[in-house]
Amino acid sequence: MLLTPNAMSPRLRWGLYSVTGLIALFLLLPIVFIVLLSFGSSQWLVFPPPGWTLKWYQQFFNNPEWMAAAFASLKVAVLTTIFAVALGLPTAFALVRGRFPGRDMLYGIFTLPMIVPLVIIAVAVYALFLKLGYTGTLFSFVVSHVIVALPFTIISIINSLKLFDQSIEDAAVICGASRIQAVFKVTFPGIRPGMVAGALFAFLVSWDEVVLSVMMASPNLQTLPVKMWTTLRQDLTPVIAVASTLLIALSVLVMFIAATLRRRNEARMPS
Amino acid sequence: MSAVIKDVAQQPQTLVCLRNLNKHYGDFAAVDNISLDIQDGEFLTFLGSSGSGKSTTLSMLAGFETPSSGEILVSGKSLVNVPPHKRDIGMVFQRYSLFPHLSVRDNIAFPLAIRKLAAAERNKRVDAMLKLVQLDQFAHRRPSQLSGGQQQRVAIARALVYEPRILLMDEPLGALDKKLREDLQDELRQLHRRLGITIVYVTHDQEEAMRLSQRIAIFSHGKIVGLGSGYDLYQNPPNAFVASFLGNSNFLRLKAQGNAVATFEGQLLSIRLTAGLQTGQDTLLMIRPEKAQALSVEQAAAQPLQTGWNEVSAKVGEVLFLGESQTCAVLTQGGTAMTVKALSAAGMPLKTGEQVRVRWATADACVYTQWAESDLNKAAGAH
Ligand SMILES: Nc1ncnc2c1ncn2[C@@H]1O[C@H](COP(=O)(O)OP(=O)(O)OP(=O)(O)O)[C@@H](O)[C@H]1O
Ligand SMILES: [Mg+2]
Repeated sequence: MLLTPNAMSPRLRWGLYSVTGLIALFLLLPIVFIVLLSFGSSQWLVFPPPGWTLKWYQQFFNNPEWMAAAFASLKVAVLTTIFAVALGLPTAFALVRGRFPGRDMLYGIFTLPMIVPLVIIAVAVYALFLKLGYTGTLFSFVVSHVIVALPFTIISIINSLKLFDQSIEDAAVICGASRIQAVFKVTFPGIRPGMVAGALFAFLVSWDEVVLSVMMASPNLQTLPVKMWTTLRQDLTPVIAVASTLLIALSVLVMFIAATLRRRNEARMPS
Repeated sequence: MSAVIKDVAQQPQTLVCLRNLNKHYGDFAAVDNISLDIQDGEFLTFLGSSGSGKSTTLSMLAGFETPSSGEILVSGKSLVNVPPHKRDIGMVFQRYSLFPHLSVRDNIAFPLAIRKLAAAERNKRVDAMLKLVQLDQFAHRRPSQLSGGQQQRVAIARALVYEPRILLMDEPLGALDKKLREDLQDELRQLHRRLGITIVYVTHDQEEAMRLSQRIAIFSHGKIVGLGSGYDLYQNPPNAFVASFLGNSNFLRLKAQGNAVATFEGQLLSIRLTAGLQTGQDTLLMIRPEKAQALSVEQAAAQPLQTGWNEVSAKVGEVLFLGESQTCAVLTQGGTAMTVKALSAAGMPLKTGEQVRVRWATADACVYTQWAESDLNKAAGAH
């Protein structure tokens, strides 16, 4: 309470503002840097750029390998989103509504991938798929991404489901809707913010996932981050800056959509 | 009031039958062997303190809870294996439970849409409902744009629009303030009279129960311990628990001396003729504060005791003025506390420390032979 901006001395206030500003700058700087470089004319990523050009974008969009990677990323992310929501929804219902022994443990298991270091999951999944001969397939990408995306999806659906008053669903049932109908017609619209957030989370997790993807990749199937990674090891071209910029742009767009939806939703349902 | 009850009694059409209904959670009996007949078209209220099993019983009627054992019959047919959405019962919940993403109109139309009613018929019925609950102008609003009272009216309209035979209401007015609650109580009573629907209502507000219902079922520890009109339950409580739960009461401990006489603190009193009383048996007398009179010694001397009345001597403790009425707390010679209540208009010119004579008519005092000490304690109603 004492630290509300108005109660502080001007000097302290400006001090805090500048620290906050510096931290924000520190976080933003690499992004700004890479975006500027993607438009810079220097082949060697000189900063500040000696001139401006769209040449690298042209190269990116004209290169079938980069386009294939971008398309693969999009495909994997969309499929991951679909499966994460399709699996996360019933799981969240079971974890919130279910009355069975071991429910809390199950919750722990489902959220484990958030805590376990990614490399460990990656190695485990890689070993499994290697044995099954699935590495380098779309299937292996989607499965491994769903594993790490699912906890985020489940948690955001669980949160909105816990907030949803179940007597609203009961009201639909007593009005004549079967339980399934009530869930689809009343509960899903009610928890839509959580479902949308969960879907966007899944998309973002998959979209910039690199550790698992590097292991799952094959010469004929790799996602954008993987392609960046492999290209980076061969030579440093501004096309990588372009790929980074596009990666960031889509992430920012998705986050912007999420924020807009949330704001609209709050405006519609106060309290 | 009693006229209405007689009408019902003349054509006792039982609509709902609860038979030895039980609901156990582990070892705990939330509903303990309840049997109850609900008449067609009656307004019945479940009244009881928190945790007494009212909502659980209602939930079993609605189908959200499955009885551990027992039967629920509607028009003679068992409901136990009918899922809630096929029971054709309407229900209004405490927290309104409107569909937040639908307009008022679509909320009310929901049960009809589910039943795939033709659009024309659907609109006609929804319009009629909107008019009935006086929300015509709000049809296009979202529930979040309505006041609590308006939201509850939407919930009532939504529960009535498909014309169920039974309407269940679980503390529907609990979240509203007093004034609005009384307005809605009046609307509800009129609605019931107009539609002739059977209403089972849950509340823990005695006044609300009295105001609304034709019959009240009093719940305690998962059992129905009293059933009847508010008038009968109040005037002639079937047991000491109901007596102390409803309104205020004075309890005097007597020893029976035959079937119509008992001693209280060594003094002989006449009591209602009660079959099976043994001489020397512990007996409990219950007198409502407003049925007792407190007279000063001079007043008592001027007004000889009528036949059929009793009198005990006491000392005034405290006199309270409550606006419409006045209460006077007294202590008998043997140390029994009593309260006497009179309308302010009648006047009770007593002062603390004065001697008084407390009088009551034998016919107005109820006699109990079996009770538990906790029955006499109002707070002991809950778990
Ligand atoms: N799912 C449950 N598991 C265990 N106990 C339960 C469950 N549901 C209800 N109970 C218990 O059953 C008893 C009766 O509950 P119920 O909700 O019927 O009470 P009520 O009379 O409606 O009370 P209130 O006036 O507070 O709503 C309570 O003691 C409650 O704790
Ligand atoms: Mg309740």
